Amino acid sequence: MPIRLLPPEIANKIAAGEVVERPASVVKELVENALDAGATDIQIETRDGGRRLIRVADNGSGIPAREAELAFARHATSKIASVEDLAAIRTLGFRGEALASIAAVARVSLLTRAAEDEVGTFLRVEGGQVVQREGRASPRGTTVNVENLFYNVPARLKFLKADATESAHIANVVMRYAIAFPDVHFSLVRDGRLAFQSPGSGRLLDVLAKVFGADTVARLLPVDPAQDASLSPDAKVRVRGYVSEPSLTRSDRDGLMLFVNRRWVQDRSLAYAVIQAYHTMLPEGRFPVAVILLEMDPAEVDVNVHPAKSEVRFRNPSLVFSKTQRAVRRVLVAHAPVPEMHMPQPAQPQAHTERFRTLSQLGLEAQRTGDTEAVRAPVFQVPERPDPAARRLPPLRVLGQLAQMYIIAEGPDGLYLIDQHAAHERVMYDQLMAQQAAAQAAAQQLLQPLPVELTPLQMSTLEEALGDLAALGFEIEPFGEDTCLVRAVPAAIAGDDVATVLRDTLNELGQEPPPPVQGHRVTAVVACHGAVRAGKTLTVEEMRALVEQLERSEFPRTCPHGRPTVLHLSMGLLAREFGR
Amino acid sequence: MKVSCLQDNLAKGLSIVQRAVPSRSSLPILGTILVATDGPRLKLAATNLEIGINCWIGAKVEDEGAVAIPARLLVDFVNSLPPDRIEMDLNVRTNTLHLKCARFEANMNGMDPSDFPVIPSPEENNRVSMDADVLRDVIRQVTIAAATDESRPVLTGVSVTVEGGQATFAAADGFRLSVRTAPLKETAAAPMTFIVPARALDELARIATDQEDPVEMCIPEGRNQILFHLSSVDLVSQLIEGRFPDYKQIIPRTFTTRTVMNTGELLQAVKTTNIYAREASNIVKLRIVPASDLAPAHVELNATAAQVGDNVGEVDATVEGQGLEIAFNSRYLIDVLSVISEAQVALETTTPSSPGVIRPVGSNDFLHVIMPMHITQ
Repeated sequence: MPIRLLPPEIANKIAAGEVVERPASVVKELVENALDAGATDIQIETRDGGRRLIRVADNGSGIPAREAELAFARHATSKIASVEDLAAIRTLGFRGEALASIAAVARVSLLTRAAEDEVGTFLRVEGGQVVQREGRASPRGTTVNVENLFYNVPARLKFLKADATESAHIANVVMRYAIAFPDVHFSLVRDGRLAFQSPGSGRLLDVLAKVFGADTVARLLPVDPAQDASLSPDAKVRVRGYVSEPSLTRSDRDGLMLFVNRRWVQDRSLAYAVIQAYHTMLPEGRFPVAVILLEMDPAEVDVNVHPAKSEVRFRNPSLVFSKTQRAVRRVLVAHAPVPEMHMPQPAQPQAHTERFRTLSQLGLEAQRTGDTEAVRAPVFQVPERPDPAARRLPPLRVLGQLAQMYIIAEGPDGLYLIDQHAAHERVMYDQLMAQQAAAQAAAQQLLQPLPVELTPLQMSTLEEALGDLAALGFEIEPFGEDTCLVRAVPAAIAGDDVATVLRDTLNELGQEPPPPVQGHRVTAVVACHGAVRAGKTLTVEEMRALVEQLERSEFPRTCPHGRPTVLHLSMGLLAREFGR
Repeated sequence: MKVSCLQDNLAKGLSIVQRAVPSRSSLPILGTILVATDGPRLKLAATNLEIGINCWIGAKVEDEGAVAIPARLLVDFVNSLPPDRIEMDLNVRTNTLHLKCARFEANMNGMDPSDFPVIPSPEENNRVSMDADVLRDVIRQVTIAAATDESRPVLTGVSVTVEGGQATFAAADGFRLSVRTAPLKETAAAPMTFIVPARALDELARIATDQEDPVEMCIPEGRNQILFHLSSVDLVSQLIEGRFPDYKQIIPRTFTTRTVMNTGELLQAVKTTNIYAREASNIVKLRIVPASDLAPAHVELNATAAQVGDNVGEVDATVEGQGLEIAFNSRYLIDVLSVISEAQVALETTTPSSPGVIRPVGSNDFLHVIMPMHITQ
């Protein structure tokens, strides 16, 4: 086959494939155009998951009549003028490919009117060619209709997922922009029904309430530069946003959203920085809800990495990551309450309303009589967030053991239930970490080397983790293909079933792709498998010792895996439940 | 069954067999104590299927019979009765035991005695015997080293080797080893080796407190059990199957430093140091200092706990060989020093990472090997 230049239709389709992957990409491109046009109200409408119709209408600046056709030409844009502009991009789009690419794979019509024009312009484009053009009445702004997407690219059409999936992708795109632009009012109508709407109030929390629901939002903690000197506005990288309390988790990472200069980005290491900030506070396999908005000089970040622009490159990645991680960590450490028990509230509407009525009547009464003191006095005590010092446990008195699993203890404000395994895990982890920090791991030698048979996977995990295990006090050497010899063990686990602890540790270490910080992880895993198990009867002295050690811990509320160690039933809760 | 006995005797007998009653069991019959006439005596029995205890007390038997009575009920009731004669009368049809003592009377609903597991009685063959107080001492010195963790069952037991005129008891939990030899009352007919659960031996030591006659040990052929026969008590235990590690090769044959100390002084010093050591993985460091122009020979003990602080103590010693610094688990030291009755102990060491041996001075029948701890840098 001779080499020849591809005809423009084919070349355009190939190029379009990069930009327009699925209906959600069309929405993304059109919403970005609308935002770049300064719109404050963007309405998106889809039918059949965007296959039949995608309509994006904005109240932005519009396209002047004489430039309308040019908008569909490839590499035509109003957003940059020179190469220098690329280095400091402040608009969302800049490649000049979006409309051209969409027009190559769908039937597109455009109705637009710029402020200075009296009449709007209507264009219909098919297969990249303008087939109709006329003047039409139009409000200021631009409306783009995209119909029959991929009608001429059957291969792409075939790979589209179910309508519901594509709709979900579209909704995700719209929500992301709504979060990044809280001052813009977005509405998404799916098959004639309103699916999402952001208030456009300019307050991020209002948008998050629409995205995650009010329950979740009530448990978000602000990452606020105003409250954190190191995040001062003049810093190179500014971090703000909201992160969930450690007790609020999800099983997927979808709650984790990152924005750089109002652009939603996917960045594994940045996401890892956020998750790492929760280190030891989250249960395994659980992820936080976190919306992090980074702001930095556009010159500090390269967004021109991928046509979809969801990947970025930072000029100084480690600064960005550490800034992010520290900001989030600080918020979490300052917060960290003992998770309080949530009990189903017994239905007592009668009593409540009555009390409420009396109180409001009291207020009215006071106002009328001019007795302002009574009004000013707080009627309801609002529970205050505990100050950072309160993250430590109060002194506890051990009452007993429940089901050989939980220690029951009394504190200054009610009852504490302590998970004996999780608590011991935390104590051991702290001990091991302290020894490591001092580069002094206490090891107990064995009378005779203990041969432990391992599976091939365990063997290879062992080889990788050998250094970390040695730092903890393990002295292990391979002995043949499927056996290792244990000569010494960390003193902390000396009384235990060494072979099982080692095997369990290796199993857990071998499970996932290990995150970069290995020392930590190995320590956490060893602590977990060396800790006292549920089902062991503890003497009062043992329980007391454990609780005392836990009280001394800096993070007594969670085990290294992030499960809670302590549940607190406050006196208030008990009184409420007993109807006192 | 119609029988009478003294409250003192019954209470004492019950306190012995009660130790074999499992605290929790899925078999209701195991929660009972068997009360049965046996010739002119009353037999009490309890078992948790690992060990079983039979105890005989003097009684006046008028009518033979047996019943199994819930242990807690029987023990608590009998213990609270006045020291007087107790008369027992069994209603065989309902298994109800009627008790009468002074001005107290009670009816206890029992269970069918034929459901109670049979606890074997001693046989004539394979029998050896030891002085009771020697055996108690042996058990005290050896069971401290037995493992409490169940992952390697043989290590929760005590290896017993009977050969010629003596028996050797050994236990090891992976970190320390206790070996004690003791003379038998007579030469064994054939050598024997078996592993007895340390728990059963501890129980035996408790029961044998005021035993004066020798304790007989008997291994019935092919039953994998051991039976200890005391004057009025039989204790039967399952043996642990498996091979006990060859501990002889663990015992170091040589040493470079021998340090002799006063047992009581050393124990007290370790206990003091342990207040710090218990906060830091139980590490106690021993600095063995041979005599020099500056100071007589001594051993310095210290423990450092990062968050707590540190302490140092000193005991007098006679040191043969070079100075050395070696770390041990304080708990292990306390365990072994507490069971040595001789006034002086010798610690034999070679390097900071090779095993230390503790022996009572003036006695060759006990030794204890402890693996050192070390700090990885």
